[in-house]
Amino acid sequence: MIGDKNWRVAWVSALLLCVASCATTGSLQGASAQNAAAIADPPARTGARAILIAMPNSPNFVEVRRSLVSELQKNFNIQTFVVGPGTKTDDLAAAIKAADPVCVVLMNNATISLYRHYQMANPTVTTPPAVLLMASFVEELQSQVRRSTGIAYEVPGVTAFVHLRSVITTPINRVGVIYRPVFRNFVERQKSLAAKERVDLISVSVPNDVAAEGLREALHNLAQGHKVDAVWMLNDNALVRDEEFVDDAWRAELTEARLPLIVGVSNFVEPSSPLGTLAVVPDHEALGLQAANLIFDLADNDWQVENHPVELPLSVKTVVDIKLVRANFGLQSEALKHIDKAAE
Amino acid sequence: MTRIHSPRRLPRLFAWLLFGMGLLYPYRPLQSAIAQANKPVVHVFLQLDAKSSAVEKTLQEHLPELAVTVFGRYRDFEDGLSNGHPDAVVSITPVLEQRGKTASLQGQRDGKSSEPYVLASVNQPLQGPLAGRTIGVVDLLGRDGTQSFLNGLLKATDVKIKRVAKVEDLLPLLEFSVADGIVLPSSMLARLLERTRLAIKTRDLPGTLVGLPAVAVLNPAAHDVVVKSFQRLDAPTRRLLGIDTWSVP
Repeated sequence: MIGDKNWRVAWVSALLLCVASCATTGSLQGASAQNAAAIADPPARTGARAILIAMPNSPNFVEVRRSLVSELQKNFNIQTFVVGPGTKTDDLAAAIKAADPVCVVLMNNATISLYRHYQMANPTVTTPPAVLLMASFVEELQSQVRRSTGIAYEVPGVTAFVHLRSVITTPINRVGVIYRPVFRNFVERQKSLAAKERVDLISVSVPNDVAAEGLREALHNLAQGHKVDAVWMLNDNALVRDEEFVDDAWRAELTEARLPLIVGVSNFVEPSSPLGTLAVVPDHEALGLQAANLIFDLADNDWQVENHPVELPLSVKTVVDIKLVRANFGLQSEALKHIDKAAE
Repeated sequence: MTRIHSPRRLPRLFAWLLFGMGLLYPYRPLQSAIAQANKPVVHVFLQLDAKSSAVEKTLQEHLPELAVTVFGRYRDFEDGLSNGHPDAVVSITPVLEQRGKTASLQGQRDGKSSEPYVLASVNQPLQGPLAGRTIGVVDLLGRDGTQSFLNGLLKATDVKIKRVAKVEDLLPLLEFSVADGIVLPSSMLARLLERTRLAIKTRDLPGTLVGLPAVAVLNPAAHDVVVKSFQRLDAPTRRLLGIDTWSVP
């Protein structure tokens, strides 16, 4: 049975994650399927089992697929099924039937939802193992999709904190995060991971309908009450709901507190309009390699997918507002060698 | 002091948020080489203490006679070899040997042309047989090649491998407790220790020296300009490549 709460959690940030994942890199124009190039699968080889990749045809997904295919194509036949707004469960079911895959790779929440409906419509059918990628809260989704595992899409806080330490000279021992109740489990998991790198993650809960004033108070509490060294902004669109909200809450308080802000959105790092100090975002090409490794692991274990926990993403890219860092937090001497994009 | 308050550019910022989250422009190293016509093309694939883009920029500045492309990932390097037809490649010995390439210039550090690798783990060194252990390593040679490389370093055959794309991705394997240990060049250990507060312990891997970066010239017509260009590199750039001098084998 699918828990409403878990699905709500998944969909709360799905819009932000999935729309973003459909983006055109570095362009304001965005992109959608109408601009997408055709996806060509490698020629099939006799005797090789198939991997079915169900995904939207947009750049970040294509980048993951490219890396995934380059790893898998020597061992498996690859069949790609493009999921668009008009795709129905029956379409996916037909693709699965035609491919007879040994494993399916499902990218984004909409695709996973289709697959879940396919499973619900066929409760007695043994469906192939599923690898869930590029969707929000994959840990929660695993229990709701039979025979599934995957890789979380959210960058763990500890990864961001370690990167921030390697960029700025001011110490990072306590990091504050503000979250809404639906993010509670996610935040709790981050605390234990952060503790491994000796970072205390201080969390403050706000209501789902928090106003800018309430959010600013929470930020003030983190800065002045808990004396945090940095603030981590979750990818939750309810906390960055519009420009005025960001101005009145985040920017106003951080201006006063002069704390580094870690964001999960590269466009929040903009020296001409300073807000984020460091953006830490998924490295999609490396995510493809990690997914391939996961699939090889499953194959080696006779596709016993239930025993495979959801993995955390290993690789990220970083964007740093160098101007902001130099002015406020001090730039580590070797930092420029280790960041992907220096904005100044 | 840099001001943090907004010059009211948020409409654009929010457009970028919706269409740009989780995203950086993809790194496309091959294109930079293609643009530099009439120069010998050099492909570089190394595990270094720097982003590939930073290394590429430095090498392009210091090797103006060459069209240098630095690859951060094995698959890109492999594709580049197949499709880019480089005149020379720079990598460590196992990578060159896998491709049947011979070094024209061998990098050296502290008078040695090879270095040991170490097995790093958390809290205590990994002792005893490594059979069944999960070990992380950078993908230097593809799935099978990297497995063989790791087996050779560890003198074991049934080690479970976790390949990562970049050397910096080894640390999360330990932080997330998904690997028992990681294997890396001894020269990269200091950077690892700088980055983490995990209690890292190491185990030496005796008898397993791996060649330092070397230059293999594939096109004889480009030999002289490639070799002379690399020999002229200044000390900081050589250090960036993980060596301090070149020797002619």
